[in-house]
Amino acid sequence: MTPALELQGISSGYGEALVLREVDLTLAPGEVLAVLGKNGMGKSTLLKTVMGFLPLAAGQVRLFGESIGGHPPHVVARAAVAYTPQEQALFQDLSVEDNLRLGLRRDRQLRVGIERAGEIFPFLPQRLAQRAGTLSGGEQKMLLVARALLCQPRLMLIDEITEGLQPSVIERLSVALRAECERTGVSILLIEQNVGFARGLAQRYAVMKRGELVDQGAMHGEDTAARIAAHLNV
Amino acid sequence: MSATVLDIITTAALLYAVAAGLLIVFGVMKIINFAHGAFLTVGGYAALAVTHWGLNPWFSLPAAFVAGCACGMLIERVVMRPLYSRPLDAILATWGLGIILGQLITLAFGREVQFVRSPLAGTMNFLGTAYSEYRLSVVLAAAVLAGALGLALNGTRLGLNTRAVIMNENLARALGIDSARVRFGTFSLGAGLASLAGALITPLSSVDLNMGVPWLVNAFMLVLVSGVSLISLGIACLVLGGAQVLVSTYLNPILGGLTIVVLAALLLRLRPKGFSRD
Repeated sequence: MTPALELQGISSGYGEALVLREVDLTLAPGEVLAVLGKNGMGKSTLLKTVMGFLPLAAGQVRLFGESIGGHPPHVVARAAVAYTPQEQALFQDLSVEDNLRLGLRRDRQLRVGIERAGEIFPFLPQRLAQRAGTLSGGEQKMLLVARALLCQPRLMLIDEITEGLQPSVIERLSVALRAECERTGVSILLIEQNVGFARGLAQRYAVMKRGELVDQGAMHGEDTAARIAAHLNV
Repeated sequence: MSATVLDIITTAALLYAVAAGLLIVFGVMKIINFAHGAFLTVGGYAALAVTHWGLNPWFSLPAAFVAGCACGMLIERVVMRPLYSRPLDAILATWGLGIILGQLITLAFGREVQFVRSPLAGTMNFLGTAYSEYRLSVVLAAAVLAGALGLALNGTRLGLNTRAVIMNENLARALGIDSARVRFGTFSLGAGLASLAGALITPLSSVDLNMGVPWLVNAFMLVLVSGVSLISLGIACLVLGGAQVLVSTYLNPILGGLTIVVLAALLLRLRPKGFSRD
């Protein structure tokens, strides 16, 4: 079966400074893979490289079998890739409705999209006129996930969405994403430091240290918890 | 209503028409387009061409807009696009483009000061004051322009995409918005609006190669105090343009010419956000 995402020996970084070094990674259709690691290890750089925000210094990026290395971000996004960055992920001064509209390719899908967003997070249809920046931190993350799901992605790239959130909100996000995986078979590349959230969602894990993947395996293997703890020193 | 009040309103309308295009380009591309004054001059000469050809003077407005848009499209594709990743070079390029456009206009129309025919030459009684029909029509034109821009930015998908690029270009790109296309459309529209403003101004002043310079300086300062908001720009035009009219009328016209620059600089010193709410 053609992988949803295939990274072959990719190296990238900022200018002359390489952050990622010869990273190989494969994500199967419908699979959730959590990339774990401490701050500054290159996890976010990995997603930015896949999205085309950073140029490839070496290697290949394939999306459902097609090479997307060197494509600009809007072209990657239009290939049904939903990217939720860690920071500045919403248009704070736009309304909830406008943020949702931007997740859709066409405005005529808006009514159905809002209904769908309401099924996932029921508070959203009642708050359409509210400025996104005035939502609570947890509500902003839920809006972010709803917007990402509205474009009916085949691949989601999610960057540390649980950072700073209460456990109850994390659970709601986890439930929403699990349900979407079951409903649509979307593949997810999840960047996380919250191991509990990652274990609840992902079938596989990879650990990134200093720009290299140093360990990969099944998330629910016998020794997985111990191996992850050893890598993360927890 | 006194003539001074009407002068304030009509001056604010002219300033708004001139500065709106500059503000949109600044918002999307994060550069001050120093060719804006030259685009305004292109509009003035488009109006002059309409006069020379004996066409209805109102035709100068669409003619100037189309000429400005065409110049903007060409320049964005050929000059600006390769410089997106070098904003300082892009700003310098717009300055050089202004010079080149000026020389091309000289080749086509010569250096002498010229005049166009006004579409409305008389006066009308407006709320008890006899006032220039043309200056009042400029207010109407600026109001239509403001309404059209507001509708386009807030009521269309293209406008939403443009606002998204203004607020956070990388996030907009991550959502599938082709920001290069938005930049192309914005730069072309900004050039068209500058030329339209040039055509609006010409019946009130002469047409010459430097006609855009004083307007560019004032528009630049108005954009700086407006925080990429068309509403703030309207307020800035009314307040600072009003001050310009009052100083020109009651103190000295030369000092009046400096009023917007001086007040905007003071305002930015006291309140860096200027007239912007955020």
